[in-house]
Amino acid sequence: MEAGPAAGAEPAATPVNRMGMAVLSLGGLLVSAYLLLFKLGIIETVVCGTGDCDVVQTSKWSDFLGLPVPLWGVVGYSLILGAALRGTRPGRGADRALAGFLFAASTGAFLFSIYLSVLEEFVIGAWCRWCVGSAAIATLLLVFSIPELRRVRAR
Amino acid sequence: MSAKSKGGTPAGGSNLRLFYGTLAAIAVIGIGWIAWSASGRGTPAVAPIDLSGIDDPQALLQQARGMQLGPDAAPVPILVFSDFTCPGCMAFAQYIEPQIKAEFVNDGRVRYVYYDFPLGGDAGHRHGFLASRAARCAADQGKFWEYHDVLFARQGEWASARNAPVSLLMDYAGMLALDESAFESCLKSDTHADVVTANKILGERLGVGATPTVFIGSRSIPAGLSYEEVRSLIQRELGEAGS
Repeated sequence: MEAGPAAGAEPAATPVNRMGMAVLSLGGLLVSAYLLLFKLGIIETVVCGTGDCDVVQTSKWSDFLGLPVPLWGVVGYSLILGAALRGTRPGRGADRALAGFLFAASTGAFLFSIYLSVLEEFVIGAWCRWCVGSAAIATLLLVFSIPELRRVRAR
Repeated sequence: MSAKSKGGTPAGGSNLRLFYGTLAAIAVIGIGWIAWSASGRGTPAVAPIDLSGIDDPQALLQQARGMQLGPDAAPVPILVFSDFTCPGCMAFAQYIEPQIKAEFVNDGRVRYVYYDFPLGGDAGHRHGFLASRAARCAADQGKFWEYHDVLFARQGEWASARNAPVSLLMDYAGMLALDESAFESCLKSDTHADVVTANKILGERLGVGATPTVFIGSRSIPAGLSYEEVRSLIQRELGEAGS
């Protein structure tokens, strides 16, 4: 577990958890971009193995608030990626607003993934392997964002 | 290592270099994969292709191949130009075709030949070409007619999909216990695109403009006939053929 910074002190080293969050959110961004291009018809077929990506991606649940679900993923992961990269720059270790955003965004991504997974299992009745991958990334993002809570609380 | 190096790099600078290197590698691989997918390579042929020399009737007849039931020597041929996405074709396949088979094909009096005529165009018919290819991939494993039945029975599930319903077509192959690996290799290629294209061109040369278009002998029959009406037309052709 990462040690918290002393009060008023700024950690010299880059928070490792933010590096992890940047890598994860980049992966999520690529997955979302791939599914978005499929949804827009730019990619004709999605590599899905034995899953039912077609069913999931063409169901009426593949839009959220009028926009394609993968577009929400692209926006959300981009924001997390940008914040995590910013958080790895020197002097940003103790930025409470940044820490708060990273935790809140990761929590939002995790909750949205739960919502989508429930839809896949109980409403659509089909699973998309890429969606499962995105849900796993969102879960790991939440785990990696836990140290941000300590930074938010630090005085 | 000191907290800051001469160049102002924070402690853990080598970690940062590794971090940025990892990010760059993931980005390059991911973007490369997406670009490769968007380029259409490794994806199935979903529309008619250019066929050289097809203006020659002999060449067309050599390339066009229907799927046949019944003996070559049957006195009356029935040619059906059909699209797996077309509701009228589904109705014909589910209600008229089985009765023709039972009454005329099984005893060798009729040769029933299915030709692909994928309509293409709007969203409702855009996957017809891919479905025709999928059925031919099933035919490679001896299950064209079984796959044909599944495609029509589940038309509402796959035909209106926004994107090419590859995984659904794969699922149907699994339902019929086909060799899924061989089926997938066939489907995700341009295999049979030439035959399906040639079949459609043959239909166009014969004046087919809608589906299903059915020829009993040399006559095209009107759409929407009942089985009793179709049967009487077949019997008339058999009478003219002296059977």
